[in-house]
Amino acid sequence: MILALIIIIPLLIAAISAIIQKGTRLLEFLTVFSSGAVFFFSIIIADKVLADQSYSLLPYLKVSSFGAILLLLTSFISLIASLYSIGYLRTEVKKEVIGFSRVKQYFVLLNVFLTSMIFAISFTSPIMTWVAVEATTLSTAFLISFYNKPSSLEAAWKYLIINSVGLLLAFFGTILFMAGPMTHGGNIGLITWNELMTSANTLNPSVIKIAFVFILIGYGTKMGLVPMHTWLPDAHSKAPVPISSLLSGVLLNIALFTILRFKIAADGVVGINFSSNLFIYFGLFSILVSSLLIYLQTNYKRLLAYSTIEHMGIIALGIGFGSIGLFASILHMIYHSLAKPLLFLTSGNIFLKFSSTKIEKIKGVFQAIPLTGALFLIGIFAITGVPPFGIFMTEFSILAAGIQSHPIVAGFTLLGLVLIFIGFLKHASSMIFGEKPKDIAAGESNSWTTVPLILLATVLIFLSLYLPGPLKLLIERATLIF
Amino acid sequence: MENTIPAQILFLADLVIYFLIILVHITKRNISIVYVYAAQSLMITFLMVYSASVNHSYALWILAALIFGLKVAAAPIFFLRQIKKQTLQSMTSSYLGLPLTLIGIAVLTMVTHSRFFAALATLSPANENALMISIAAMFISLFIIINRKGALSQMIGILSLENAIVAFAFAAGLEQGLGLELGIIFDICAWIVIATVFVTMIYKKFHTLDVSVMTKLKG
Repeated sequence: MILALIIIIPLLIAAISAIIQKGTRLLEFLTVFSSGAVFFFSIIIADKVLADQSYSLLPYLKVSSFGAILLLLTSFISLIASLYSIGYLRTEVKKEVIGFSRVKQYFVLLNVFLTSMIFAISFTSPIMTWVAVEATTLSTAFLISFYNKPSSLEAAWKYLIINSVGLLLAFFGTILFMAGPMTHGGNIGLITWNELMTSANTLNPSVIKIAFVFILIGYGTKMGLVPMHTWLPDAHSKAPVPISSLLSGVLLNIALFTILRFKIAADGVVGINFSSNLFIYFGLFSILVSSLLIYLQTNYKRLLAYSTIEHMGIIALGIGFGSIGLFASILHMIYHSLAKPLLFLTSGNIFLKFSSTKIEKIKGVFQAIPLTGALFLIGIFAITGVPPFGIFMTEFSILAAGIQSHPIVAGFTLLGLVLIFIGFLKHASSMIFGEKPKDIAAGESNSWTTVPLILLATVLIFLSLYLPGPLKLLIERATLIF
Repeated sequence: MENTIPAQILFLADLVIYFLIILVHITKRNISIVYVYAAQSLMITFLMVYSASVNHSYALWILAALIFGLKVAAAPIFFLRQIKKQTLQSMTSSYLGLPLTLIGIAVLTMVTHSRFFAALATLSPANENALMISIAAMFISLFIIINRKGALSQMIGILSLENAIVAFAFAAGLEQGLGLELGIIFDICAWIVIATVFVTMIYKKFHTLDVSVMTKLKG
């Protein structure tokens, strides 16, 4: 029943928001209520998953341990993004960049996006999961083109085409995997993940290999793995920052979750080495390419987007290394989901203040917006893996897991991480320190754009220093499955 | 699930779809591309109708009607209206010339007959040729998306890719149940509407559907 509520609430709010003709405050309230309710019910679902291993609604929806982690992250980041959106959109309306209809469109699509993510996490059928992931693409395409500028339209078109192609390839991989339950079980109804996993071994191992390659390329496109990443920097840099934070912080994890579920089926047939090696290749390639582009970056939103590619690469690498690397990867995913939205949202404050995304044009953030500057610096330290932030520990664990089995890969990864650290420090120091331009007035835009960020930073720091038992248990259970 | 369509009919239908996808590469007029897509979809409908009549399945009849309604009628009409509305009857171009495009198509067709894809024949050994030609159709559809400069052609490329995958599913005997097909059809329906809205927005903003002029993200 609770699972039904967290799906119905945002969908209902989207429908109500669509018919509201005036009253921005009402739209804001409804979306905050929606994401707040989803977060509240997600905590209850996580509690039930802790008690019973999983939580189901009919045979069609089910939340596992990994699903509960994703649900918590998705709902929490959505709540933060919703709160932040109030201040962000009010400032944009005040500047006459957008009007009421755009604000309405934004909140309607945000709720549809949230609903489709919850569906993607909880569907028990691989095909319906695919439909839900495709729905996330469709709902976010208009959010990326939100500003209706030629560049944002171009980014949205690129996003739509590349992700649609990727998802069709994933669809092809899915139907290949489904050949097992369909040809041997005679099941033509809703084939579930469990059926797919148990009957995959009836298929030719070579078919499974081909199927997994298509799955990895298809959902890997959504996840932003190099070389299928080309849509990501454009989409993340052109979307409004609350949307970028959701795309980077939660949507990519859902694609990862889907790949991992297919990985279980593939590993059972062709052994763990096949998928692990693919994860390692894609992971390393993503880290190396993004490290160079981060170092040479001139746009801070694109810098954060490339950092997302890097972290998806690290997560993929950890999965490929296996054992402790897998646990560290899931934990890394959590830290990244908290740190990256913090960076995107603080970059939103910087944009609101400086009206530019060029690194060279941003000077003296500390002077102009000191609180944002401090939060931005916390985010930079967290994302680059400076101790005591959790990413330091997870990156260390992933490298430790890989150093024995793949020393060369671990060596190149370390090199990439060092380059990324230097690049981030170089760009951040030039933005944060120094004298602010004289025409920029000091002071934050409003409390809506700072208070949610303080909350987010607090959770990030807290979880870096202390991992609560229930969360640790969820991660351990998720690790055991994969 | 056992395949109910005779191997020769499946191969013939998949071969027609394959050639129709090649025709999208060769065709330059936007209107003609839409008609070629409708013809591809008609072949998919034919396969569904055949399967429905052999299986005496109401669900498959409903699916056939839905596919016809969406892919053969509604989507092409929708595209043709957009073309008329935006006065896009003009020619659309590609990055590679016709000779290189045809060489590319030949190479892609050969790739699908490589050892890597040979294992897929085990899904339905009787339909090996149909399976391979469907995979070739998939890659050639991908090539449309990469090679064509027109946004409408890219859309047709994606829809052709979807048709090729459906053709493959038929050859492998992997048609889905009604509920799932409805989900997929709804998804495609939403995709067509959204992509068409984007095409309209692109035309309004750039005064062309040539995606090669969209260079605002560079630099």
